[in-house]
Amino acid sequence: MAAVTTSAQAAALHPHDAHAGHDHYAAQLRMNRLGLWLFFISEGFLFGGLLTVRFFLWGADTRPELDQTIGLIVTSVLLISSVSMRLAETAMERGNRKAFSVFILLTALFGLIFLGGVMVFEWGLFPSLYPAHLTPWGDKYGAVVFAMTGMHALHVISGIIFILIVWNLARKGNFSQERHWGVESCAIYWHYVDVVWIFFYPALYLIGNAVHVTH
Amino acid sequence: MLKLPQSSTDRKHFMIVGALVVVTTIILGFFLLAILPIKAQASVQAEPIRWLFQLHLWLIAFLFSLVVVFMLYSLLVFRRRKGDTSEGEHFEGNTVLEIVWTVVPLVLVVIFSVIGLRTLQQATSGGDDVQVEAVGFQWSWTFNYPNGVTSAEMVLPVDKPALISLRSNDVIHSFWVAEWGPKQDLVPGMTTTLHITPSKVGEFSLACAELCGLSHWSMLAKIRVVPEDEYTAWMDEKLAAQNLQTASR
Amino acid sequence: MRLTSLGVVRGLVGYFAGMLIGMAVVVISRLVLGMSAWDQEAVWVGGIIFSIIGFLLGVGAMSDWLKWTRGVQTPLRHGPPVNQPAWTRYFGVDYNHKVIGIQYGVTAFMLLVVGGSFALIFRSELADSGITFLQPGTYNTVLSMHGWVALAAILLGIAGIANYLVPLMIGAEDMAFPRLNAFAYWLNVPAIVTLLISMLFGWDSGWTAYPPLSLRGPVGYQMVFWAIFGIGLSSILGSLNLIVTMLLMRPKGMTLFRMPILCWAILATSIIQLTATQLIGQAFLMLSFERTLGMPLFNPIYNAAGENIGGQPILFQHLFWFYSHPAVYVFVLPGLGIISELLPVFSRKPLFGYRWVALSSLAIALVGFLVWGHHMFTSGYQPYLRVVFMISTLLVAVPTGVKFFSWLGTLWGGRLTFQTPMLFTLGAISVFLIGGLSGPILATAATDLFLHDTYFIVGHFHATIFGGFVFPFFAAIYYWYPKITGRMYNETMGKLHFWLMTPGFWLMSLAQMTAGTMGMRRRIADYDPALGVENVQLLVTIAGFVIAFSILIMIYNLFTSAEVGVLAGNNPWRSRSPEWQIPSPAPEHSYARPITVVGEPYDYGLAGSTYIATAGAGDD
Ligand code: HEM
Ligand SMILES: [Cu+2]
Ligand SMILES: [Cu+2]
Repeated sequence: MAAVTTSAQAAALHPHDAHAGHDHYAAQLRMNRLGLWLFFISEGFLFGGLLTVRFFLWGADTRPELDQTIGLIVTSVLLISSVSMRLAETAMERGNRKAFSVFILLTALFGLIFLGGVMVFEWGLFPSLYPAHLTPWGDKYGAVVFAMTGMHALHVISGIIFILIVWNLARKGNFSQERHWGVESCAIYWHYVDVVWIFFYPALYLIGNAVHVTH
Repeated sequence: MLKLPQSSTDRKHFMIVGALVVVTTIILGFFLLAILPIKAQASVQAEPIRWLFQLHLWLIAFLFSLVVVFMLYSLLVFRRRKGDTSEGEHFEGNTVLEIVWTVVPLVLVVIFSVIGLRTLQQATSGGDDVQVEAVGFQWSWTFNYPNGVTSAEMVLPVDKPALISLRSNDVIHSFWVAEWGPKQDLVPGMTTTLHITPSKVGEFSLACAELCGLSHWSMLAKIRVVPEDEYTAWMDEKLAAQNLQTASR
Repeated sequence: MRLTSLGVVRGLVGYFAGMLIGMAVVVISRLVLGMSAWDQEAVWVGGIIFSIIGFLLGVGAMSDWLKWTRGVQTPLRHGPPVNQPAWTRYFGVDYNHKVIGIQYGVTAFMLLVVGGSFALIFRSELADSGITFLQPGTYNTVLSMHGWVALAAILLGIAGIANYLVPLMIGAEDMAFPRLNAFAYWLNVPAIVTLLISMLFGWDSGWTAYPPLSLRGPVGYQMVFWAIFGIGLSSILGSLNLIVTMLLMRPKGMTLFRMPILCWAILATSIIQLTATQLIGQAFLMLSFERTLGMPLFNPIYNAAGENIGGQPILFQHLFWFYSHPAVYVFVLPGLGIISELLPVFSRKPLFGYRWVALSSLAIALVGFLVWGHHMFTSGYQPYLRVVFMISTLLVAVPTGVKFFSWLGTLWGGRLTFQTPMLFTLGAISVFLIGGLSGPILATAATDLFLHDTYFIVGHFHATIFGGFVFPFFAAIYYWYPKITGRMYNETMGKLHFWLMTPGFWLMSLAQMTAGTMGMRRRIADYDPALGVENVQLLVTIAGFVIAFSILIMIYNLFTSAEVGVLAGNNPWRSRSPEWQIPSPAPEHSYARPITVVGEPYDYGLAGSTYIATAGAGDD
């Protein structure tokens, strides 16, 4: 996920015109923000494309049999993680490093729980724990579920890596109350990945009637 | 020798250009008709296609002439003469003109949409007096008739509306007989159809028009359009031969 | 100087090391998961992904970012490399947009030559009927390679123009994100290497890669999918960078409607690239996964009851064309921008209807999102969609017309001179006219049912792409050559190039269209002499060789003139545009002082007006 680190990375000052000081930082911040949002627009087409695939192949009236309880739980966890991310960012704005560390690590933990839920229950990677019935190669239901959750999981994973990097940088004192684009971009990115799930969850779990495919 | 006016807004320019556009449109129109001899002419569905194609050619001839004559005329008349160091005339645009050349094409679009819709209907509809199923596979064709006759060539009676169902189980192919006009893809997982009413007796070549792998280029089949009695005779013969075969098995 | 001091060499080492590591990772994971060690598709996918990453690590395109993750701040490196000859900076990561622009441009030119050579190979085969030296399998591979190599050349060529010119034209120091800019360029290189490697394995679907065919063929497909994914990702990042640069880095006084017109074209292009490209990346990724894991997204599979519980081939076509139609505007909009940029300079007159021209670029880009289905008239989708896409496609003709008429308005009443860039601009108009006018005839669905997948299409899109990209690209190269090298190209050779290439191209595209109407299908390795197209085919081949020869002249001209050309001076074309107000060749830091915009960009012939002013020493 080069592009992700990118947006954060661009925060680094050009030392060439470091003398320009505050103005330059403000200008760069504006560019970084626009860049990140453009990246989200671009990714919106990716996720929109996946939704199109889902409706094209399943129609609006069918969906696979998925465990509703698990779906509700992982979705809630992800939503809560957005709250903890917000708290982490606020902590950084207030200069409370301790709280920042706690909340941002908590966010990563929630992310991991979400990921674990997806991998164990939706994907059935560990059949001894939970026997899932969908496979990527079985039929169009398995294929689309894996395509959508897989692409989303990739973003969650990169988000978690991003969080760990930012946490480490904060630990080393690389951010300040006023200058913490790294934290800000990480937080926006995380919220974005959450919002995507808010679209994916109903598309996978709620819309249409569950069908049992005979092979 | 014609003396050309100096000012770019002089009427005389536009009269000359207008006359030239008319002349070149006519010449170019016939030229295009000659170099683009569209082959679709042996079915009822081909007629509207051919007609619309040639209508387009006249429009193209006109628009091409319009732009090119204006351009060449400018190159000639407004070229920098030796020793001239002046700049061009200063005008930045003309809103009325812009609106005209937005609205006029828009009207043309509406007209062509209507015409296009009508021709599309004509080119894709027809009856189903004769039904054939064409199955394409890498890299050949077979044809199944409802009475169980299977053949490697397709035989159709002339002037009878035929409904051709198209099926493929491997990759996408496309059913195209150039003389008949329209083509239609064969898509794995679905059955597509094509309406053809052959209007000329003769032998034609069916060619796969969608790249389908190694021997796509040679994925051909023979098509015969015959008078109705000949068609019935062929069918009877085929039936008899096939029954013999099944009987002997 | 050691060889490994060149970034590209380190990159290639990283590429092959990454490939081995990736393959090993896949084999070991498979063993751990209890599967058979060898699965050709999976092993190659692992190899490709790691090799691209390996290249980027090797060349150093991510070094600064990796350091950032460890909390190490790195200064943005400026200027030529120390302790090394200056030319080496072109072979490694460099953050100067002018260097990156040249890197893009030269890579593009090389790809154009490679792609063109592929075309010459299979055109020679088609010169007469009968299979002579290319077996159909090889024919299909070469044809398919021609498509993607040429498209890659175009995408990189556009990126080159945009990178070099946009910051110069808006008086910016550099792009908004120089590291991202370098990364986006270098991502292309391993992708292109991968694309070329695919040839060893073969693939035969044409650039469109329609499944199920692309799901069945040799493993070369995997390389194509990931190569295009890489190039696509690069387009996305590059366009993001350009949009931010244009929106936020303009100087004081340069409102959007006072940008040089090329910037508008690039803006419209970037909007398309930023968004639509995701869809082809996704579609190719899905193909790769369907091949590797058997995910049935595009290929139908049936259950015992005979129902399709798998994918649908048409879905791919929707995803593919949702990108690939807008992409054709990506190919042409910058070229049309170059035409609009150059005409005023050589006519000594304002661009006619600046706002209309600017907005027509946006209109073309936006309407372009609604027309993808015109590539699918015969695909078997719902019949009513034909009508929808017919009308939306015809609508594109309106803003395209505005451009043509505005160009005529610009020429009218000017003081035209005909140096090589101007000739290529006029040639571009004539060729794009052929391409554009052959569009509506494909848009009315009924006629397209005949013309689809014939040589008429080949004629149509080569005319649009040559008129919209190749001719303007050449015009741009001749025009900005003095700014880049400081010297003038050779005018005689330039004119010779033009007078060989333009009639050659007219002949080629008309002959292609003729062949199409006579029933010649596209993408066939051989044809029936009974079609009667042999003479026409021979003409196409000869014309192709003439074009290729004329391009050789250009290459010779560009190489020799860099040494012996006359010194051009700062502004040989007497242009008002900012990039011509600085020395040639453009210095490392383009603008010694910030510029401000005080007038309209194209007010040629308005006495006493200027476009830009350089800020005085006092107000730094
Ligand atoms: C007035 C504008 C245009 C119209 C109405 C138009 C229309 C069409 C239509 C209907 C097709 C589908 C033909 C078929 O596959 O049967 C087509 C194909 C194509 N057009 Fe255009 N076009 C226009 C301009 C352009 C431009 C500016 C480009 C730029 C490069 C372009 C590039 C292509 C390409 C590459 C294809 C072939 C795709 C393929 O089948 O592989 N067109 N065009
Ligand atoms: Cu075929
Ligand atoms: Cu298109």
